[in-house]
Amino acid sequence: MALYDVIFYLFATIVLVSAGGVVFSRKMMYSAFSLLFTFFGVSGLYVLLSADFIAVTQIMVYVGGILVLIIFGVMLTTKITGVDIKSGTLGAFQMGIAGLASLAIAVFMIIMSMNTQWMQKDPLAETSTTVEAIGGLLFTEYLLAFGVAAILLLVAFIGAALIARRK
Amino acid sequence: MNQEVFLAMPVFLISAFAVLIVVLDAVSGKNKTINFAFGIFSLLATAGAAIYTLTLQVPKLVNPADYHDIFTITKNTMVFSSYSAYFDILFSLAGILTMLASRSFISKGYHEYKEYYSIIILAVAGMVYISHANNLLMLFIGIELMSIMFYILSGYFRQRIESVESALKYFLLGSFASGFLLYGMALVYGATSSLELNVIAQFIAKNNFNATYLTFGIALLLIGLSFKIAAFPFHQWAPDVYQGAPTTVTAFMSTAGKAAAIFSFIIIAKALMPSFTNNAMRLVSTETMQMILAVLSAATMLIGNITAISQKNIKRMLAYSSVAHAGYMLMGVVANNQLGYDGIIFYATSYLFMQIGAFIVLSVLENKDSSNINLDNFTGLRKSNPYLAALMAIFMFSLAGLPPFAGFFGKYYLFLAAIQSGYTWLTIVAVISSVISVYFYIGLIVYMFFKDSDNPIAKAELKLSSVSLFVCLIGVLLFGFFPSLLMNLYAIIK
Repeated sequence: MALYDVIFYLFATIVLVSAGGVVFSRKMMYSAFSLLFTFFGVSGLYVLLSADFIAVTQIMVYVGGILVLIIFGVMLTTKITGVDIKSGTLGAFQMGIAGLASLAIAVFMIIMSMNTQWMQKDPLAETSTTVEAIGGLLFTEYLLAFGVAAILLLVAFIGAALIARRK
Repeated sequence: MNQEVFLAMPVFLISAFAVLIVVLDAVSGKNKTINFAFGIFSLLATAGAAIYTLTLQVPKLVNPADYHDIFTITKNTMVFSSYSAYFDILFSLAGILTMLASRSFISKGYHEYKEYYSIIILAVAGMVYISHANNLLMLFIGIELMSIMFYILSGYFRQRIESVESALKYFLLGSFASGFLLYGMALVYGATSSLELNVIAQFIAKNNFNATYLTFGIALLLIGLSFKIAAFPFHQWAPDVYQGAPTTVTAFMSTAGKAAAIFSFIIIAKALMPSFTNNAMRLVSTETMQMILAVLSAATMLIGNITAISQKNIKRMLAYSSVAHAGYMLMGVVANNQLGYDGIIFYATSYLFMQIGAFIVLSVLENKDSSNINLDNFTGLRKSNPYLAALMAIFMFSLAGLPPFAGFFGKYYLFLAAIQSGYTWLTIVAVISSVISVYFYIGLIVYMFFKDSDNPIAKAELKLSSVSLFVCLIGVLLFGFFPSLLMNLYAIIK
């Protein structure tokens, strides 16, 4: 087994185990910390796919931003309401239905990935960084979408301010 | 100058105004009238630019496969067809009608913040991007821009628990649906290696539609869009959100928002189901896709109309009926012929007038905390507010699809289109559900005109809402008595 495969299976194991931790741990805090490892493992997989920019963005946005937000959210709301936020409040029936649906989707995805002709590329071939290509495309081909996305971010700010403003 | 610059003018204008009005918020101080007037002006200018583009030689396109490389200035991310220009006019019109009615309504219910107007302009901008999108990225950003503005608007009465509940529900479910949409787009991109709808359509037509994950992507896309138009299995959010949101906002969301979502449904369905027939090689054919949409459409109108019967709150009743109207509009997509798409345009126009009109009547009648819009409160309305009662009756007749109002011809064209493409059973279901809907629309009229009550709703002050109501009335009557006006107008545009 080549080193590449070893690294892949390492990251895949991290993702699967920690994703299980997110779902199955009763305490919200443990779920949040498991999520940290899931994001980390996924970004490792991105690196293996030579998508370096997305890997770094994944760590910066999800680990740096969203996860910290979740943890603060859990900590602060527990302080205020005095109620432990726990997962797993669903009944057995709902859990069964949801589990079956997830299983069906998983089986479908596995079948799908088996009979698809994926683009094969030598993973160890030397590749340059993707940042340049992404930047180039953003400012030529997708300039319009880029500008509109900027408007979207601006209005998200305005909306947040409108909802949270003092009377 | 390049003609394309003129064709792109509505998009450029609304983008520029959307940014300008945000700046104006910051500098205008306490003066709210400036923002209001500027908002109306920018929507009028956008509508004017769209009307002007219709007089140019605009291609009449609805099938993304035909777009190929005609629009160079925007790098093929946008398409400028007469359909999109016409929808621009509709969106601007809905924005103007809503803004006129909102002025007194939001200060009655809560407080008039000038950001309210900028958010409406930005929502219209999102819809305009949707109607011009030829790129999945652009389409998604447009849908998100529109949806985020709706989340904010529906929570605008933030000291009111129903309004906050509606905003939160809409936000959580809406972001979930956006996830489906994005996942679907990613898979479609992976299968066709392009984000541009025309390239995708050509790719699918050439390569026989045979990747499993393309099918999966299309399914996810349809789920996400069905949520946005509130079609059958994904309609549960609509009544709660529409009931809790401020009434004028509901008027805006359930008409312009729905028309924009239907438009994205049209272009996606057109791009992803090019006309080819059943074949062992293909996983999904046009017929299967049409059949799925037909079942969706039938279920949507039946569920919407049957649930509406038992509602006591008029806003909630109209919310369920708006679910049913999405089902009618889907018939045009199912029919997949020229008459079907023209029928959607006619229906969207007439629906805009009658639905906004009905909600504006509610908005002027309701009290400070919107607790008096149950059926019982409307008893004897003919005595206290005779004109409003008459207007409401006209809008109800039109929503029920009775001649000679605009709603009748909207349904007529859609039913005809469905029969022409061989979906007679769908038309029969649609007729049955229309008959069901007559029960609760006429029921409201019975309450207003043929029952008496000791304490009817006090005489309402109309203010600027009267302009909106007048325009809605004119729209419903004009296109009801002269339906050919709109259809011919549309034929001339070609």
